[in-house]
Amino acid sequence: MAAVTKEEILKIANLSKLWVREEELESLTHDMGEIIAFANTINSVSDSAEEFDNINNLSNVFRPDEVIPSYPREKILQNVNGGEDGYFPVKKRS
Amino acid sequence: MEQKKAGLIRRLQQKMENKEMSCRELTLEYLKAIEQENSKVNAYVLATPETALETADKVDEKLAKGEKLLPLEGVPMTLKDNISTDGIETTCCSKILKGYTPIYDASVWAAMKKNNAVLLGKTNMDEFAMGSSSENSCFGGSKNPHHTGHVAGGSSGGGAAAVSANLAAYALGSDTGGSIRQPASFCGVVGLKPTYGAVSRYGLIAYASSLDQIGPITTTVEDAAAVFDAIAIPDPMDSTCRGKTQNTSGSLNGKIEGLRIGVAKEYFDGIKQPEVSAALENAIRTYEKAGVEIVSFSLPVLKYALPVYYILACAEATSNLGRYDGIRYGYRTENYNNINEMICKTRSEGFGAEVKRRILLGNYVLSSGYYDAYYKKAQNLRGTIVKAFHSAFEQCDVILAPTVPTTAFPEGFTGQDQVETYLTDICTVPVNIAGLPGISIPCGTDQKGLPIGLQLIGNTFQEQTLLNAAYAFEQSGDYVPRVNMGVSAL
Repeated sequence: MAAVTKEEILKIANLSKLWVREEELESLTHDMGEIIAFANTINSVSDSAEEFDNINNLSNVFRPDEVIPSYPREKILQNVNGGEDGYFPVKKRS
Repeated sequence: MEQKKAGLIRRLQQKMENKEMSCRELTLEYLKAIEQENSKVNAYVLATPETALETADKVDEKLAKGEKLLPLEGVPMTLKDNISTDGIETTCCSKILKGYTPIYDASVWAAMKKNNAVLLGKTNMDEFAMGSSSENSCFGGSKNPHHTGHVAGGSSGGGAAAVSANLAAYALGSDTGGSIRQPASFCGVVGLKPTYGAVSRYGLIAYASSLDQIGPITTTVEDAAAVFDAIAIPDPMDSTCRGKTQNTSGSLNGKIEGLRIGVAKEYFDGIKQPEVSAALENAIRTYEKAGVEIVSFSLPVLKYALPVYYILACAEATSNLGRYDGIRYGYRTENYNNINEMICKTRSEGFGAEVKRRILLGNYVLSSGYYDAYYKKAQNLRGTIVKAFHSAFEQCDVILAPTVPTTAFPEGFTGQDQVETYLTDICTVPVNIAGLPGISIPCGTDQKGLPIGLQLIGNTFQEQTLLNAAYAFEQSGDYVPRVNMGVSAL
């Protein structure tokens, strides 16, 4: 089983911009250990797999590079109550 | 072949064209049913009666002028809550997106709106489409209309429950690892996951971009074909989308003599209920009687499909979910001292437990020291799985498998053991890994009356062959009774 430590979980959580509460660290480390052990089963396959980066040989479907109107600023700011002076507001802190 | 199960979409359109009922009357029937019965199944998280009736009136004006209806026109339907709708709240059933109102339509919805599809509302799902029961929804899980002590499945559980309970004529869902086919199987309806690249993903809130695909959940195969034809169109906003290669809905004739159906034993190894095995064996015999050649083979790589799926899906999810920082839309935490604290608190308070686990797994497999062992290895194994399917399709035209090794889980099952829950996706994830089209159709029930799904898998962009094979089986019998709820009289 791929052992995963509490420190590793905290490091990954920090990279993920997630906070882990002290009381959930134990059970989260346990759950993640099981999930990572499950993911690790792929490492029992011998290393013959080839490089791969595309399914179905799909290629990009291009469109003409034409300038089209964008969304009005007021509409974009609707989800932050209209914003402030045309910007997304974030509280100023010292 | 004489048609036994006619498409509901066509029947409803005929009723309107023959003046048996107006589009407003039809829409009101559905809206009334939603008001009265949605609480039994928790299929809808938002009803949109004003939008629905406004469209219905437009359709009635057209009908009054004697105009013919366009495909899907006037038929009441629903969208999964991860499909963006301009001016209508779209939450992905996550606290982090509560109150978020998109400023544009997903391309699929834009195309359907042009045809006056009548939107009844947005349906329940696992948060960010991560789950197999819809119980990871911040609105609570959807219940199975066939037995409300069991789940509707997931992640498109609300759409499947709505269609099964006759609270919508059809639904659009999304399928990243089985999220259309699994709930369709659990709820006794039809669910089609199209070929990757057949349907635009623009405006679908992303989970795992190389696996996600939008598709229909319907009561019949004919309906699935009609919806697929309407949404599988090229889109300049999605560079992976080339649309369908053939029209499917006019070509369903059930003629399958000489078709080669492949059966890979690995799909059957994990079946947990004897009723599921028996229903699948019956399906194979039915096809044999119809003149289909059954080809048996082995796909040993399937045993790696699940870990490959979870590694790749979570790696992509971790990147896709990086955008939720509370700055531009959705939930933002109340108290914070600096920007980093604001983002961390917003995400920690806004995401549910399963989403957090998948973000953590995604970052773990992408982090230095583990990238080669997990992400790169999984990506290369994906290639091996794709190749195995390509060789399988040299021997057969369609592959037959269970959709899920069991019938619908009892409520609360998925919250107990994550890995045990992931294992139930064993039969659905290979299709997404290989970008293939797959469909689940009802093929029987268990002792409790819970539906069993038959999965058929086609080669890339071969939806026509796939749907015709599904149609032939559907017409061979009545495998799951219709639920006596909603507008079941129509």
